Amino acid sequence: MAELFPKEHVLGFIGSIILTFAALSVIWIDDISLIGGLVILWITALAQASLQLVLFMHIGETADKKALYISTIYAVVVGLLTVFGSLLAMIWGY
Amino acid sequence: MSKHNNSVPLEYSTEENDLKIFGFWVFLGAEIVLFATLFTVYFVLVDRTGSGPIGADLFELKPLLIETFLLLTSSFTIGLGVHAMRLGRVKPMIFFYVITLLLGAGFVATEVDEFLHFIHEGATIQTSAFTSSLFTLLGTHGAHVSFGLLWGTAIIIQVVRHGINARTANKAFIFSLYWHFLDVVWIFLFSFIYLKGMM
Repeated sequence: MAELFPKEHVLGFIGSIILTFAALSVIWIDDISLIGGLVILWITALAQASLQLVLFMHIGETADKKALYISTIYAVVVGLLTVFGSLLAMIWGY
Repeated sequence: MSKHNNSVPLEYSTEENDLKIFGFWVFLGAEIVLFATLFTVYFVLVDRTGSGPIGADLFELKPLLIETFLLLTSSFTIGLGVHAMRLGRVKPMIFFYVITLLLGAGFVATEVDEFLHFIHEGATIQTSAFTSSLFTLLGTHGAHVSFGLLWGTAIIIQVVRHGINARTANKAFIFSLYWHFLDVVWIFLFSFIYLKGMM
């Protein structure tokens, strides 16, 4: 039975629950600043996403991991440019 | 059959399998960009609420927590399913995949209930630019999870019929990538739609 519940997976799951509660702190802390809250959310979201990619999606496991990282990072960069480029041009007033 | 490589898990064991997994990662890259564009629309329009409700009026903690824990747990159980598959344990694998889909169904049911609550609060997809972009973003994710329920059911049927072999292991592994990816998207919805809106 124990072999079906590998330690890394169980620890990763506990870690993801802890990160969820850490993110929830932004609505429980009174008078948190927008920037302070966003910093907490970015840290917890990126940690949570990395945990999923590396531990559960086994991204670094095979010989083609370099291609997987390049393809995924490229997509993330295009996504971030789309989001922040649009905010820069349309909301932040530049 | 192409030649088997025994130094890697079964799902990667043929050239075709290896390429299918690589191809799926490229597809997930396109999905990342799809969700990024929907997030862009949401962030640009989030303050355009017109005479309708704002996020803080709509979002409730209870359904949010239920959805988050259902999806996080389902991501864990499908991870255990892939682990059982690699051990060659077909029954535990099917068990974990079934649990995963049940948790996913619970997520979709909770989200439908939440959408009905939004509508009851006077926020339909036509109310304001904010609610249009909100429903489009959450709905696209929910539609992916709903599609995953059908796909996952088809995978389970194949594993029940044919057992764990290079083909079924490859399909089951690719499905697990899709499922984990939906959990990753949810983390960003949870953080930057709900929690930022409730801050």
